[in-house]
Amino acid sequence: MKSKNPKIILMLFSILIGVIMSTQMKLKVESYAPVTLRSIQVAKNEINMVNDEVTNMKEMIKVKEDELKMLENIAKGDDSIIDILSQELKSNKIKSGHTALEGPGIIIKMYDNAENQVIGMNINYDVIHDVDILNILNDLTVAGAEAISINGQRVLSISEIKCGGPIIKVNGKSLGTPFIIKAIGDPKLLNASINAPGTYGDTLKNVYQIGIESTLEDKILIPEYSGRFNFKYAKPLGEGD
Amino acid sequence: MFFALMGILIGAIIGFLLPFTYNTTYSLYISVAILACLDSVFGGIKANLEKNFDINIFISGFFGNAILAAFLAYIGDRLGVPLYYAAIFTFGGRLFENFAAIRRLLLFKKRTKKDELDLN
Repeated sequence: MKSKNPKIILMLFSILIGVIMSTQMKLKVESYAPVTLRSIQVAKNEINMVNDEVTNMKEMIKVKEDELKMLENIAKGDDSIIDILSQELKSNKIKSGHTALEGPGIIIKMYDNAENQVIGMNINYDVIHDVDILNILNDLTVAGAEAISINGQRVLSISEIKCGGPIIKVNGKSLGTPFIIKAIGDPKLLNASINAPGTYGDTLKNVYQIGIESTLEDKILIPEYSGRFNFKYAKPLGEGD
Repeated sequence: MFFALMGILIGAIIGFLLPFTYNTTYSLYISVAILACLDSVFGGIKANLEKNFDINIFISGFFGNAILAAFLAYIGDRLGVPLYYAAIFTFGGRLFENFAAIRRLLLFKKRTKKDELDLN
């Protein structure tokens, strides 16, 4: 073996390196050196997002197929159109808030500071204001509340919460303390949105000494919206889907 | 030196002409292995210039280093620690050391020849 010319051997192995290098270059890897944990994480997230999209699309296909089936049944005369329309009406009523709902959630009881001692200089700090209620409602909505009522008044997107001196007005009805807010949703999440440190509810309770008591319930009932939708100015824009 | 460069060039042309490719996931391991191979070849050139080239040492180093480097990169990937840095630093540093030695050897060779000519 030693008799062989080392130059030839070196050349042969150089050729081998050249082949491997050119193959590597042919792959056109954009950045192969730093496969960091973060880049792996980013790629994983992207894959998850695409997968989610795919499942969403599949669900959509299923829904559309069901719709198609329904329409075919109507065409065949198996289902009467009245049944289907009344079903749709029911679901639309649920969505618009014209149906009483029940489900798990929390009941929050809010009342003014009951202590004799006044907090701060102003008596205003010791009573509940419309803004406090609004913030609590917003926190509940953020936590995924599906239906909310205050003292038996259903709160919808068009419900106003208005200051009326010692009372507040919701849906045009005057409500006084104690305010009992009911919300359907994940009870633990809703409770956390009110009682977790740093939330608006926590500040009200611990800084301003306003009474907030929340209880988790397995079954609460939320009444329907009693008013009517009267759109005077808003008009639907075309047939959308 | 020049035959090694020529060899790499010829190899590159062959590689581009061949339709052979491999999975992209292995590219990191292969690139670290290429570095190890390059280091071995530089070591071989140096040994050749020093006239103590041993083919067994060269071949075992060529493949052994390449496999160890690729293995390190693979293990590092599994463990989440970039272990291939070890291979890059070692072989990269040695590559330059070998190159420096080769340069000196070549330059001294030329200089001694010149001296001989001058003496004559």
